[in-house]
Amino acid sequence: MSVISDLVATPGVIAAGEYTYRGDRFTYDGQLDYETARMASIMCRATTMAVHMETDMLKHLKADCGCAPARGWVVRGDKMTVCVMANVFCFIDNANGSLNDIMAYLREHVESSETMLV
Amino acid sequence: MADLDKLINLDGAVAAFNFSSKGELQESRISADSEMTDAILDLVAHVCVANTSIATMQARGWENVTGSGGFYPVKGFSLIGFDWTVIANEEAGVIMPNDNTDYEAAYAALEA
Amino acid sequence: MIKQIMILDGVMAVAHFRDDGELVEGYGMGGQEEQANLAHFAHNYKRLVQGNADQLSMFTGIRGWTPPGGWVVRGARYTVCSVGNVVCLFDGSEGHLNEVMQELRGASQW
Repeated sequence: MSVISDLVATPGVIAAGEYTYRGDRFTYDGQLDYETARMASIMCRATTMAVHMETDMLKHLKADCGCAPARGWVVRGDKMTVCVMANVFCFIDNANGSLNDIMAYLREHVESSETMLV
Repeated sequence: MADLDKLINLDGAVAAFNFSSKGELQESRISADSEMTDAILDLVAHVCVANTSIATMQARGWENVTGSGGFYPVKGFSLIGFDWTVIANEEAGVIMPNDNTDYEAAYAALEA
Repeated sequence: MIKQIMILDGVMAVAHFRDDGELVEGYGMGGQEEQANLAHFAHNYKRLVQGNADQLSMFTGIRGWTPPGGWVVRGARYTVCSVGNVVCLFDGSEGHLNEVMQELRGASQW
């Protein structure tokens, strides 16, 4: 089983996918149509780039204390949550999924991305 | 405003803090064995505000284009750093070690 | 070639960076290390703005956002601005943003 198929089989997961850091490709599985998943991958990539920049700056400003390099991020919405670890993204239905369980899985199975960023 | 004493008492919490809508640190609690300082928390708070704004732009755009709801209003942003995770809403945050991060307890305390 | 930007009023530093953020050429400020830091910051900021422009393009459905032309961060006294792979730090109380941006646009096409 791949990380994406594992995630999609997890309760509460609406869709999961991965994107290249260059932004030229993405793959996904779950309950999103292709165009929506494409937009999701663009948004997730943009935020990943932003948090990498921010943690690099925190490190540079001597405010690191363990934040850099960034491993991922979470945006919790009213009914849905999107979480990203490295280049893997996952959309969760808040009412049916466990963010703790999904983040623990991602932390364990998705490697840090620092050396892959272009 | 979130109860900082409640946040800092979450299992493993390293720091808890309140901030203004611009991201300026207003109040903090830092665990005794932590390297965190108010200067660091002020920068982290600005990162949280910046990302919540961007996430809100994304939620608005996403909902306009796809016609689906669920992300707006954005309830929180978390940054998973190399060693620790910060979990924040629009006015407060808590920092926890990656191997002991309880998102659900943190969001419950932030939203209490 | 970017050295001539240093003659503009208020300009404190200028740097040209590669697509991976490494410094190609820099002038001003404390020296090469600080120029490299400015280049690294500008590289990160360029990626961030690129991401924002991509999303504005996607969400608004109108043309003209991408590729982004550059960015400006205007502080109380100092301003940092960049076009393409050239970034400039200047003192806003002495210099003029329009003039600096015009020179940066020219320099980014060299």
